Amino acid sequence: MNGLSRRRLLKGSLYGAGAAVLAPALGACGSVTGSVSDADEVQFWNLFQGPDGALMKDITRDIERRTPGLKVRSTVLEWGAPYYTKLAMASAGGRSPDLAILHLTRLPGYAPGGLLDPFDMDLLAEFGVRREDLNESVFKRCLYEGEPYAIPLDTHPFIIYFDRDMMDESGLLKSDGQPVPFESPAHYLELAGKLRADHPGKLGPVFGHTSDAGMGWRMFWTLFNQTGATFDLSGRRLEIDREKAVEIVEFMADIVRPDCRTMDLTTAIATFANGQSPLIFAGEWELNTFRTAKKDTLGAAPFPTFFDRPGGASDSHSLVLPHRADADPRRRRRTHQFVAELLKSSLAWAEAGHIPAYLPVVESKEYAGLRPQADYAAAADHPVLDPQAWFTGSGSDFQNRMCQALQPTLTGAASARSAVRTMESEINTLLSKPNPA
Amino acid sequence: MAMSSPPTGTGPDPGTEPGIGNGTDTGPDAVDDSRASAERPRRGRGSSGVAGWPFVAPFLVFFVLFLVVPIGFGLWMSFTDSSLTGHGDTDFAGLGNYTEAFTDSEVWQSLGNTAWFTVLSSVPLVFFALVMALLVHTGLPGQWMWRLSFFAPYLLPVAVVTQVWNLLYQPESGMFNTVLKAVGIDGIGWLVEERYAMWSVAILTLWWTVGFNFLLYLAALQSVPDHLYEAAALDGAGAWRRLWSITLPQLRRTTGLIAVLQVLASLKVFDQIYLLTKGGPAGSTRPILEYIYDTGFTNYRLGYASAVSYVFFAIVLVLSLAQLGLFSRRED
Repeated sequence: MNGLSRRRLLKGSLYGAGAAVLAPALGACGSVTGSVSDADEVQFWNLFQGPDGALMKDITRDIERRTPGLKVRSTVLEWGAPYYTKLAMASAGGRSPDLAILHLTRLPGYAPGGLLDPFDMDLLAEFGVRREDLNESVFKRCLYEGEPYAIPLDTHPFIIYFDRDMMDESGLLKSDGQPVPFESPAHYLELAGKLRADHPGKLGPVFGHTSDAGMGWRMFWTLFNQTGATFDLSGRRLEIDREKAVEIVEFMADIVRPDCRTMDLTTAIATFANGQSPLIFAGEWELNTFRTAKKDTLGAAPFPTFFDRPGGASDSHSLVLPHRADADPRRRRRTHQFVAELLKSSLAWAEAGHIPAYLPVVESKEYAGLRPQADYAAAADHPVLDPQAWFTGSGSDFQNRMCQALQPTLTGAASARSAVRTMESEINTLLSKPNPA
Repeated sequence: MAMSSPPTGTGPDPGTEPGIGNGTDTGPDAVDDSRASAERPRRGRGSSGVAGWPFVAPFLVFFVLFLVVPIGFGLWMSFTDSSLTGHGDTDFAGLGNYTEAFTDSEVWQSLGNTAWFTVLSSVPLVFFALVMALLVHTGLPGQWMWRLSFFAPYLLPVAVVTQVWNLLYQPESGMFNTVLKAVGIDGIGWLVEERYAMWSVAILTLWWTVGFNFLLYLAALQSVPDHLYEAAALDGAGAWRRLWSITLPQLRRTTGLIAVLQVLASLKVFDQIYLLTKGGPAGSTRPILEYIYDTGFTNYRLGYASAVSYVFFAIVLVLSLAQLGLFSRRED
């Protein structure tokens, strides 16, 4: 009897100890996502790292300084597919941040699913930002069922950079410092050949694409869009002008054949930065690397118009309000204020190369003085965003699949027709799947 | 099994019971006896096991919370149209996801890629580990250095390994193609051409992980009794004869273990492929796990991704059981 009760006592205390050990661990589950915080802070998720990240931090600090009562807690997450996984989960789970950066092309996968809340344009106007202040061609993609579910911060297009000296030596620079227009694919190939011949021992124009989940598609989509041919994702099957697509892929293969059949983005960037190539097709977001390496010899221009109409693959870092069931009007108000201040500060943001979506900045004298940013600012007039579907957009599986479909053709292992066939079947596979949003 | 209790001090004394647990291989007249003993120890274990529960409770809670519950929940999800965006959690899809999985050509393609990688990586990972262990064991000078250099890559994180090898594999400026060019051979697109990409991943994996198998083999080699070699030497057996008739047979258990572990590890391939090629070019290196990841997390279809996971789980389970059966039979 005595023994049993002693054992029971021991047992009881052990259970108690076990519970004590576990309690903090279980309790922690409730707070790891960080919903508990200073009531006044605007929680802001973004994906800016490197120079972009440092710049955003400075801008945020400036805004905090000049706007009493506004505090921002930024959470920087790794850009790419994982960012969008986290954002979707946070929004679905109801523990979302107040504000987040979203690539505008991802909006069709977010807004219809109820993951986002719309902005209040009147409230934004109260803080000095009106609808007509925003880049119209980008802003119309921010609307879902007529409501603004995103506010564009910038446009970031696919452009060309060139080496002023090398272009000039080949007589390809106009008096205004911009390159002579490439009037057609054949004309481009001719001039590229000339650049190559004039600079023996160096490469011609470069484009890095292998093992990259975006570049191949960006080039294809830019060129295809310039033709104005049909590419329709709205039905159950893809409608595409197949012959045009084949023509485009053949041109892409021609572009990369001499020097960069198997070149990846890092190598292409290094090659151009080291002065081994006169021209590179790349994103405007590489500006910082090139400016550091090339100083005054660096030139930039919107993506050349090879076909019928101008345009370069673009996306826009836009601001969104992840859905909150319990949206507190005071917090929402502060969040709107922060968004307005961010837009008004976007001259500083343009430093990184991005073209601000807030027109008063783009039209300012200060912006016109930014070189080479102002030289390619016109690219924002013809942004070519991804075709709209729940599965498209920056960092999507779709872009990766398109790049992979193109790769065998670009490396010379397959025909252009087979690349188009693969792209079509990949897209039809995605279209046949139920929309999870 | 794991919770063996102290034999004394509990209610019914188990000490008086005959032959616990070995009833089946005793004679026919022992059958009744064993049935009786099969019931009574359970009672004994039940009451005395209670004292053990507090000790395992912390582990058990985590085990249930982070393994049992997710496994059950995943199984449930595989029968729904559940999405990462929180929609469709309750849309029961019946066997819809499973029938889709069996007719989805991408499931088969990525399963094929996983199988191909498993073959490409497991065979050399066992073979070269053995060769390296034998070489080191036969007494190369500077044994510690070989041991260290063979094992060191295993300690590197996957991100470092893929960074380094990505540079080596660079088509234009990478070391491999530079060397090939120097001897007059055209460079190849290690990671960018469909016919080479999986081989390149397998080669990287061999370099990266062979050290672990090597270490297992080395330990096994060092525990082969010396007297066997002495006796063989006395009988005039040469080095090759000793290798074939003593070393390899003595290593059979280890080989079985390494093969099982290696196949399971290779089937789980994901990280180095995701970091190097994202499954490309043209899906030629996408393993089934990446397909599950892409489907569930990038394309939000958690229900369907769960179903594919369970199909894969079933395959792995069958394979492991088959392997286990194969090796345990051989040992008998």
